[in-house]
Amino acid sequence: MIHEVLARPAPAGAPAASGALAIRDLHKSFTIGGAPRTVLEGINLDIRPGEFVSIVGASGCGKSTLLRLIVGLDDDYRGEIRLDGERVSTTSLDRGIVFQDHRLFPWMTLEQNIELALLNTDVPKARRAQIVAEHIALVNLTGFEKAYPHQLSGGMAQRAAIARALVTEPKLLLLDEPLGALDALTRVRVQNELQRIWMTQRSTMLMVTHDVEEALYLGDRVVVMAPDPGRIRRIVEVDLPHPRDRAAPLLHRLKDEILAELTAAPSAPSNLVHLPGREVR
Amino acid sequence: MASAALPALAAPTMRRRAPLASFLAPVALLVLWQLLCLSGAFPPQVLVPPSEVARTLWQLAETGELQRHVGESMTRLALGFAIGALAGLAFGAAIALSRLAEVVFGPFFFAVWQVPVIAFVPMLVIFFGIDEQFKVAIVILAAFFPVALAAFDGIRGVPRAWFEVARVYRTRLPDLIWRILVPATLPAVVTGLRVALTRAWVVLIAAELLAADSGIGQMMEMGRQMFRIDVVLAGVVVSGVIGFLLDRGAKAIERRASRWRAA
Repeated sequence: MIHEVLARPAPAGAPAASGALAIRDLHKSFTIGGAPRTVLEGINLDIRPGEFVSIVGASGCGKSTLLRLIVGLDDDYRGEIRLDGERVSTTSLDRGIVFQDHRLFPWMTLEQNIELALLNTDVPKARRAQIVAEHIALVNLTGFEKAYPHQLSGGMAQRAAIARALVTEPKLLLLDEPLGALDALTRVRVQNELQRIWMTQRSTMLMVTHDVEEALYLGDRVVVMAPDPGRIRRIVEVDLPHPRDRAAPLLHRLKDEILAELTAAPSAPSNLVHLPGREVR
Repeated sequence: MASAALPALAAPTMRRRAPLASFLAPVALLVLWQLLCLSGAFPPQVLVPPSEVARTLWQLAETGELQRHVGESMTRLALGFAIGALAGLAFGAAIALSRLAEVVFGPFFFAVWQVPVIAFVPMLVIFFGIDEQFKVAIVILAAFFPVALAAFDGIRGVPRAWFEVARVYRTRLPDLIWRILVPATLPAVVTGLRVALTRAWVVLIAAELLAADSGIGQMMEMGRQMFRIDVVLAGVVVSGVIGFLLDRGAKAIERRASRWRAA
């Protein structure tokens, strides 16, 4: 009994012991046409190990920028981003990301694409093929190992991208509108897959989306952001166990609430003021 | 040309019929040419009938003269192309990867690129005479520019997104170069190589016509001076066939290199 438990590497099924993200007073600004422009202001967020957190907000509220900062593609920020206490300054295999476009390399097969993520790891070469096969199975793509990206459908390619991001077993997986480019039906299917994958992996996940329903269906919490400058408006707890029922009344009530909040933003009246002027032109 | 443009659409039956159909135009031209000669509208010294050209070709081949000229031309092409393409690759990669190199060499390169390679002939003749170096130099020039430009465009065209993927997975530099950068730029570079090869061939023949002591072009020029139009036309046929085969061969390689592009 004990041997069995000890022999197993990191327990994948149990809640991960690490993967805690802490963001403190995060500020980010870009210089656009010589003038500085604040994209993120005073972001404070704590994510527990193994938690699934969704971020929703109008476009331009800096949610994708936030993910780029957390993954380490951009280190020009003020404030603190820490994963398990360690300050983020560059990319790391502890933090994976799935982009909106799958970003698979078109000249590599599905297998080779996923294996690429393992190139700079100490995983022995002999083990790699097995790990890759396991992750292809995890996203239900067994049988497509030798397929090139152009031979995969959009949903399959995005699942492959998820497999590539997970193959290094990151403590934290970032998802930047991963399902944004998929059609409605495929999106629902991949959402279900994603929920199943998260439930088996139990790594911390942080997903940016513009789909409130998706955010609520998957997230333990939903962070609602406001634009100009990007800041957290509200954090909604979704107190429902996984796997969830899409028809759950709580999800629908929360969806109406969040949508009302997002659309009744102060930007709406100002839009109305500007509209007649535009019509004249 | 047209058949190459729509390989994906071509049904199997069309493919089978295509080789036959593509022989139609040349055969018709030959028949027309022969008939025109038989009509006696032109003196036979000026318009030599295709049968005569074929006989001359056969004689040239029998004496080994043709092989010698073709061999000379091909050696120059191979040597010049190898040097020019390698230099072009290195230069194109340098100005694509280094800001400094681009600022220093870029504008000059893009200006010189506009000059027809043939325009360098007088200068090269002054520098190198009409010997071997001159012909190789002109081939180097002809190959250098298309390859350099293709390498530059190819590398610059690699999406930023792919570099980000490499950063996320902390891909090491050798892997980044061999697994990502090279495959990503390969299709553009191979296209550049093909363009360079056919251009180099054309430029070489032209250079041999102008100043040479051997080679296909020189064989044609000698024929012209001795009023052997049959030899001139034999040279036209041979250089055309070789150019065509070079292009076809390069295209086959190009297709293999960009197989994954087929969407």
